[in-house]
Amino acid sequence: MTVAENLFENLRLELRRGCLTLAVLAQLRQEYYGYTLRKALAERGLDIDESTLYPLLRRLETQGLLASEWREEEKRNKRFYRLSSDGELMFTKLLEEWRTINASVDATLNSRV
Amino acid sequence: MELLDRYLQAVKQHLPWQRQDDIVAELRANLEAQLEEKEGELGRPLTKGESEEWLKQLGSPLHMAARYKPHQYLIGPNIFPIYVAVLKIAATWCTIIYFIVNLALIFTGTPNLTAVAEALIRVPWILMTTAAWVTLIFAAIDYGVSHDYLRIPALTASSSCWSPSDLPPIEAELVKGKKARSFTQTVVEVVFGFFLLAWVLLIPSNPWLLWGPAVLVWKQSPYQMGSVWMQFYWWCVALSSLQLGWRCVELLRGTWEKKRPVLQVVIKAAGMIPVILVLAVHDHATVLLKNPTLDQVRYGTTLDVINRSIYWGFLAILLITVVQLAVDVARMGLNAWRRRMVSMPERQGLGTRD
Repeated sequence: MTVAENLFENLRLELRRGCLTLAVLAQLRQEYYGYTLRKALAERGLDIDESTLYPLLRRLETQGLLASEWREEEKRNKRFYRLSSDGELMFTKLLEEWRTINASVDATLNSRV
Repeated sequence: MELLDRYLQAVKQHLPWQRQDDIVAELRANLEAQLEEKEGELGRPLTKGESEEWLKQLGSPLHMAARYKPHQYLIGPNIFPIYVAVLKIAATWCTIIYFIVNLALIFTGTPNLTAVAEALIRVPWILMTTAAWVTLIFAAIDYGVSHDYLRIPALTASSSCWSPSDLPPIEAELVKGKKARSFTQTVVEVVFGFFLLAWVLLIPSNPWLLWGPAVLVWKQSPYQMGSVWMQFYWWCVALSSLQLGWRCVELLRGTWEKKRPVLQVVIKAAGMIPVILVLAVHDHATVLLKNPTLDQVRYGTTLDVINRSIYWGFLAILLITVVQLAVDVARMGLNAWRRRMVSMPERQGLGTRD
């Protein structure tokens, strides 16, 4: 990987990091378990590695933003996640912040054209 | 699938023991669901090669397990700047204290080069030990703070514990683009200052340190140094110690970047005292004959030349220092006047704005 490619990769990951959390919170307004959540996000164009998504779910749960429960489905025990009440509040705030940033970036881009 | 079991077992080994079963159970459920779907699409089980390829895409077990661990650093970004600052101060002071203790030990015992060399060789170990202890302490603090065992508001809220008014003023030299004295430069000055002081203190008992092989010639010569040279010597020691002490204080206070023109002028002025002492010797007789009655006729003329050379040399030094001192004082006055002129319109502006 060249220096420029490496730099791009680092910046891309940095840019994605915050967006992934927001996307996961948005998707978990509906209940999912790890793999189906990953598929649902992928179908919407957001491909997340297993080693990123599954630990992220744990972290968000530890932070009180997600609630989870073990349940049997298709003869297999799975851990289902959904947004907690704290998570809903946080998601609303983050969404607002994201929309503001998005609008600012768009306005900046448009003003330069 | 045996490979998946082996993969999960390897991941488990690297997970925190309190949560490893729970995490592995969840990971197994997710990965088995993924595997089933893959095999359903293909209509057959994955081959060994395909399984290996799939597991490789998940990342190594160590990498996968690491993502579940919350604490991935010894010292976090919140306290890292404080850690670096403390590390610098601790390393500096340990080195300084070490040198002082060793100098004291060398001078209270028999001063020799082996003891000095041994003390120098031990410096890197002292620094590494200091760094290791500071790192260990800060790692423990970080662990305590991040796990809520410790509450140190001064550390966690350090960004709000300062006032812009406490910042040092912009110095004229910095504005002109001249580089401020760096921490490394100051540390080097302190360390070399100690070496210089040690060297100077060793001279009376080891004159060869100053004269080299010429000391043998000097000992056999009919000349000897006058008593003024001991006064001169102790003044030099006192001034060097003063400068070194001040550098140490600057390091401790973290003010090594600050220029201190007044102090420099004072030290330069005090530096003239030993020179004046030498110049004030009656008849310029700073070097004497060991046996004046015997050697006066033979060596009297040479002695006179030596003493006059010393006198004129020291007079030149004194004149140069006086000129430098005058320039420094004039520059200080000019800078003070410029600062006053610059601040006057600002003050007037602030006054009229209200």
